[in-house]
Amino acid sequence: MRMGHWVVTALALALPGGVALAQPGQGSAAYAALAKLPEIAGLWEMIFGGGPRGAPPEGPSFTPAYAAKLKSYQEAQARGEIQDSPAANCVPPGMPGVMTQPYPVEILVTPGKITIIAEAYAQWRQIFTDGRKHPDDPDLTYNGHSIGHWEGDTLVVDSVGFTTDTALGGFGMRHSDKMRIVERVKLAAPDRLEIQTSVTDAEALTKPWNSTRVFGRHRDWNLAEYVCQQNNRNFTTEDGKSGINLKYEAQKK
Amino acid sequence: MKTANRISERSHVWVQSATAIVGLIFAVAANAHHSFSVFDMTTEKTIEGDIVEFQWTNPHTWTWVSVRGTDGTLTRWGLEGMSPNFLGRRGWSKNTFKPGDHVKMVIAPLKSGEPGGTLMRATLANGTEVVNFGRPPGAGAVLPPD
Repeated sequence: MRMGHWVVTALALALPGGVALAQPGQGSAAYAALAKLPEIAGLWEMIFGGGPRGAPPEGPSFTPAYAAKLKSYQEAQARGEIQDSPAANCVPPGMPGVMTQPYPVEILVTPGKITIIAEAYAQWRQIFTDGRKHPDDPDLTYNGHSIGHWEGDTLVVDSVGFTTDTALGGFGMRHSDKMRIVERVKLAAPDRLEIQTSVTDAEALTKPWNSTRVFGRHRDWNLAEYVCQQNNRNFTTEDGKSGINLKYEAQKK
Repeated sequence: MKTANRISERSHVWVQSATAIVGLIFAVAANAHHSFSVFDMTTEKTIEGDIVEFQWTNPHTWTWVSVRGTDGTLTRWGLEGMSPNFLGRRGWSKNTFKPGDHVKMVIAPLKSGEPGGTLMRATLANGTEVVNFGRPPGAGAVLPPD
């Protein structure tokens, strides 16, 4: 106990002076401070084709090794060998794909943490805004480890620690465990959210892959349940066999 | 009022450009759950028959339709649609198709030739058309600025 107190005191002293950190559990003052932030909290759905007008968004620029992975996938696809991704078996897409589904996300802003609930695959992301750093050696997860801070009216989210199980931007596009994603989240209008996403990966990409997504607010919507295993008739196997199960069974009540 | 007009025009254009919708949504929807490579997305096939069951389930709705062939035999077709979450926000409900309803459906068939495909749009017996890949009502309020 004594040692515990000592550690807490030492940590408190180590915090940089003058930096206001939104700590969890600070009561009404911490919540009152949140009211001054742009209203990014709420339910949003990406607007397809809602990004900047003009040239179509640029895809990732792969290093030769990762370009070869994509080419190999596409060639196999052309031969009819591989037709799907793990998501066909209900494996969640992970980042960055979890943010670009045709389903809403709900953003919750609380002291020290911003939570993004993604309806698709019933996923969530936690973005710590309490001043902590990434772990030195993060566990590799689908949605990564995220920390965020405000730069004026823009929330800047930095995420690392991704499992390489997930696709980068499309079928056959892979990334390494060095992938890092920086998102700049800004309320462009009361009901319009813009997220600029920059993906870097020293092993897989030759330059940052930048894209801008636009989300519309839906004040009258609620999140709905999404249990992918309920009636999933798509499948893909380890050896690339994919398809649809057409065996009819009445829906369970 | 001006905004409302713009929304309605855009909605109209949206419904008209079925092919464009398919290309656009599929590019993203493909990431949603599965690739569309099992379907022949370049073909629109029309089938007509009676609803066996409409399964209002994730990750996809499944519409089972009994279709009479030219030789008089009945075949049960299975049609994948968008999810209840997606469609429920675009005017559909679990009662959009009821068992016994006579429907005409435009589908992208399975490449395998099996009696199945992905639903594009359907016309109910009372003439109502429903679209599988649509925009949410009120989306006009959040259209990008011109």
